[in-house]
Amino acid sequence: MKRIWQNIGVLSLLLACVVSGCGGGSSGFGAGGSGQGADSGEIVVGAILPMTGNNATDGKDMYNALDMAVKELNEAGGVLGRKLKIEVADDGCDPQMATSAANKLVSLNVTAVVGGYCSGATLPASGVFKNANIPMIVTAANSSKLPAQGYDTLFLINGLVPDQTQKATEYFMAHNAKRIALVHDNSAYAKDMADSAKAQIEKAGGSVIAYEAINPEEKDFSALATKLKGLSPDATYFTGYYAAGGLMIKQFKQKGVPGLFMAGDGSFSEDLIKIAGPENAEGALISATPTAEFIEGAEEFVKEYKQAYNLAPGPFSALTYNGMNLLADALKRANSTDHEAVKKALKETKDFKALGETITFNDQNTLNESNFAILKVENGKFTLAK
Amino acid sequence: MNTLVQTLIDGLVIGAFYSLIALGYTMVFGIIKLLNFAHGDLYMLGAFIGYSLLSLVTGNGEGAAGLLGIAVVLLLTMTVVGVIGMGIERIAYRPLLLAPRLSILITAIGVSLILENGSMAIWGAQYQVYPLQLPQTGWSFGGAQLTYTQVAIIAISVLLMAGLQLFVRHSIYGKAMRAIALDQTASSLMGIDVHRVIALTFFIGAALAAGAGVMAGAYYGTINFMMGFIIGLKAFTAAVLGGIGNLPGAMVGGLLLGLIETAGTLVLGGSWKDVVAFSILIVILVCKPTGILGEKVTERM
Repeated sequence: MKRIWQNIGVLSLLLACVVSGCGGGSSGFGAGGSGQGADSGEIVVGAILPMTGNNATDGKDMYNALDMAVKELNEAGGVLGRKLKIEVADDGCDPQMATSAANKLVSLNVTAVVGGYCSGATLPASGVFKNANIPMIVTAANSSKLPAQGYDTLFLINGLVPDQTQKATEYFMAHNAKRIALVHDNSAYAKDMADSAKAQIEKAGGSVIAYEAINPEEKDFSALATKLKGLSPDATYFTGYYAAGGLMIKQFKQKGVPGLFMAGDGSFSEDLIKIAGPENAEGALISATPTAEFIEGAEEFVKEYKQAYNLAPGPFSALTYNGMNLLADALKRANSTDHEAVKKALKETKDFKALGETITFNDQNTLNESNFAILKVENGKFTLAK
Repeated sequence: MNTLVQTLIDGLVIGAFYSLIALGYTMVFGIIKLLNFAHGDLYMLGAFIGYSLLSLVTGNGEGAAGLLGIAVVLLLTMTVVGVIGMGIERIAYRPLLLAPRLSILITAIGVSLILENGSMAIWGAQYQVYPLQLPQTGWSFGGAQLTYTQVAIIAISVLLMAGLQLFVRHSIYGKAMRAIALDQTASSLMGIDVHRVIALTFFIGAALAAGAGVMAGAYYGTINFMMGFIIGLKAFTAAVLGGIGNLPGAMVGGLLLGLIETAGTLVLGGSWKDVVAFSILIVILVCKPTGILGEKVTERM
């Protein structure tokens, strides 16, 4: 008898896994019906975002920004005389989930897709949309592998890694910092950025005096600090994330490592200041795409966003808001929801004024002019560095 | 020269943490031949319970904790986590003491995952900042810096380790521990309450890990639910390096590993640090498979 109960227990566990597994993939944000994509009714725009998992916070921020843009557009009478509607698919920042999420959007025959947070998930999803000839505007993911695929359906409105390291290098050179120490955390993104920075710095006439890696799961970087102190760099550029970045700032300050300290956009978080301690973080630099609160002319956006969602806009809110407005603009110019026409209109975008950036696409369908800026911690807060 | 001194200091601080955690591994292995993979997570749990208590004492970091406050929090956390360690032994390990070694090893991994994910559920997945700012002043000799905090960490570690050594060598419970390590059945026949002594061993091991956890939280400033994983592996390495089952060995192994790591960073760079440390580990184990202080005989602790 006992064995039977055990078997039933195992079976029901298995069943639960299967059911929840399926549920996870297709958990509903409104059911997709038939008849969409025709020339009447709502224009359905797909959004592929991480709504579950570790990056759900940023996914939610991006969804809010889309929601806000669509509400504004609809209040102004919609696009082409039709209302817009968002259909969300959860990519969970996972390549497999992203593929099935993309297939779901394709089967709903969406007019275009906006979103894409994790590069790893966006890569396979962009392939699915390419096959279905559906234009996709990527508003956060920025691996240089995305444009390298050469898809004519894929448009990126966030700056890429080389843009960021170029901006950082310009800042170093302008502040007469020629001898740079580079530190990455062995993640693909951080290493890619460190390599890119190395190339840029050497091209600009500077020299890389140390190229180091840390393990972001450890907390003690004192050995690295001691080593760098001995080399006395003009500046240290860390390309990893805020948790290690904050500790590094603190320990570098304790040890008295000389020179500027700059961190990449992975460290652009209030938590960086909290972890380092405000007095240690003072003067630390960040190379990043500025969030809405640092963008001139975005005050209205920030105010409305706070009012509507009761929280400050996240790192990619403004960009995602821009992406939706860019799509609406392209739809108007194309005067059609036909995939081919929308794609062509997006490609022809010229000097589209958006929050914090002016969008014109280059040959690779990435920004002609990047939106990166250098921020500085002053009085415990990020401000735009001059 | 000052770089060398500084590296030595850096290595000692890291090594002190490794040693404190390695002691727990080595004690548990010595007495019941279990590699307690949940041990690193007791360090994490100590850091979190210390964090909650300190938040309570300081009113979420608004007031200052004071030395007495920190000492009380440290002792309280060690006691609480020690009791949790005993509970884990009672629930997860004792029923399996006579089962195949592999079953109890898997149970240890299970306990580790429960502690990690349970802590994530309670305190959240994000990094928490310790509600405490330790003084960053200290002595400076010719460019090398030694802060009061570092001295305190090393001193507390040495005190705890010395206390443990005295306890195991000279108290009646220590004698019982060593007897059980030697032969569990015979000890039982001699009237030693084996389960009670094993529970005590878990209490001490968990308390030491918790002490290290609170100190790490206060010293480095951030904690998160996965912080015990890497340091647990490193401490386990330190225990094996020193000779697993041997208490002074765990201390020597921890300090040595800390020094090798910092020296590796200095000479070859951060990416090579672990390569260097573990290459040396392999060389030492090939030359002396029982570890630096490990004994050939079955007598341990």
